[in-house]
Amino acid sequence: MSLEWIVKIVEENWQMFLRGAGMTLLISLVGTVIGAVIGLLAGVIRTIPTPGRAAQRIMLKSANLLLTVYIEVFRGTPMIVQAVVIYYGSAMAFDFNMNVLTAAFIVVSVNTGAYMAEIVRGGILSVDKGQFEAAHAIGMTHMQMMANIVLPQVIRNILPATGNQFVINIKDTSVLNVISVSELYFLTKSVAGNNFRYFESFFVACVIYFVMTFTVTRILRYFEKRLDGSKSYEMEPAR
Amino acid sequence: MEKVIEIQQLNKSYGMNEVLKNIGFSVHHGEVVTIIGSSGSGKSTLLRCINLLEIPSGGEIHYRGRNILDGSHHIPSYRKKLGMVFQQFNLFENHNVLNNCMVGQIKVLKRSKAEAEETARKYLKVVGMEAYINAKPKQLSGGQKQRVAIARALSMEPDVLLFDEPTSALDPEMVGEVLKVMKELAHSGLTMLIVTHEMDFAREVSDRVVFMDKGVIAEEGTPEQMFSRPKQERTREFLKRTFVEHDRA
Repeated sequence: MSLEWIVKIVEENWQMFLRGAGMTLLISLVGTVIGAVIGLLAGVIRTIPTPGRAAQRIMLKSANLLLTVYIEVFRGTPMIVQAVVIYYGSAMAFDFNMNVLTAAFIVVSVNTGAYMAEIVRGGILSVDKGQFEAAHAIGMTHMQMMANIVLPQVIRNILPATGNQFVINIKDTSVLNVISVSELYFLTKSVAGNNFRYFESFFVACVIYFVMTFTVTRILRYFEKRLDGSKSYEMEPAR
Repeated sequence: MEKVIEIQQLNKSYGMNEVLKNIGFSVHHGEVVTIIGSSGSGKSTLLRCINLLEIPSGGEIHYRGRNILDGSHHIPSYRKKLGMVFQQFNLFENHNVLNNCMVGQIKVLKRSKAEAEETARKYLKVVGMEAYINAKPKQLSGGQKQRVAIARALSMEPDVLLFDEPTSALDPEMVGEVLKVMKELAHSGLTMLIVTHEMDFAREVSDRVVFMDKGVIAEEGTPEQMFSRPKQERTREFLKRTFVEHDRA
């Protein structure tokens, strides 16, 4: 019976599943956070107004070109291929063997960064033009305006999309098994390889994946609510 | 009296469309100047050119004797000397009322937090919004938002305050509270340049009224002269139209 097998598999391998799930969560969390930072930086650079001096203009143009190439390449190729190319490529190019976990962090961060850059761009576009004008009128520089006025609003706006990216990462880190990262999929495969019970083993993985994505979604929803603050405010007593 | 802002042969075009043609005028220290004229006459564009929210196509803008368009001036440092009040308020949505009035002081003027808070509270009191310091912009009415926006501009203690149709986006019953604050400021000796459709207000507070029509300054003078004995035919036409609408309303 399948059910008995499932219980047996969980009993015998629960540490393995737990480790895999932990690794999957760690890689997707680090990847999403670093990816979001990359996306925010890219967003700030891509909205810098064209400077007056020629040298600065050329620098900004080149930076924008590099960003566009980065975004298009990483959005236009599958993560499973990126993982192989980065992991084995770095070994060939620099003659050093990257730690698989480092490779995993890099692949997921850089891949997420490319998507986040576009999400951030949308987030910046969705901030009212008046906010930029008011910040400029008060004498803020581009960086001051971004840090104090625009990005806080962008972060709130992109939170749902970032959560979505996090959920995608939890699922998509499974492709990292091609470079033998010991995440949930990889460890499940080895469990199944030992007991030849593929359906039962992967059914357990399935449940674990769902519990992780569902929990993360709920937690992020809670943060969104917290960020929006209360609907009422305290009146200041006259003094 | 010293000229704070002097504009010479200012032009602004969007493609083939000339919005401002050879504008020349100045604002002296302590003076209240209002700019009137029908929609599309270029008044708002002129105001926005002065703090470089729009980049002029040609001409010169002198601030205290220096041409700030010659490329050698740091634009943010110039802008902090001018306060701006927008038609759509544009309060910083992510900050509460107090922080709206503090963030510029701390980041741009490098004031300490304590000093910034003291200054912010002082000007929020001037506009009668000191009880609302914890509120977010979304929680305020239009008139309240605009009074906070005025306090935010005042907190920077600017040399000149620019107002871009500050009451045009307000419900009629809220226009009064904003105009009242502006009148008090005008009488306090602040240098103000105001684009407005409120003719009674312009007449009462202005030292000088500028009438714009189709991208040029058609006429300027004291409120007395402009409203009672306008020299130009188009000024008379405009005032007649405006006051007929006014009476109907």
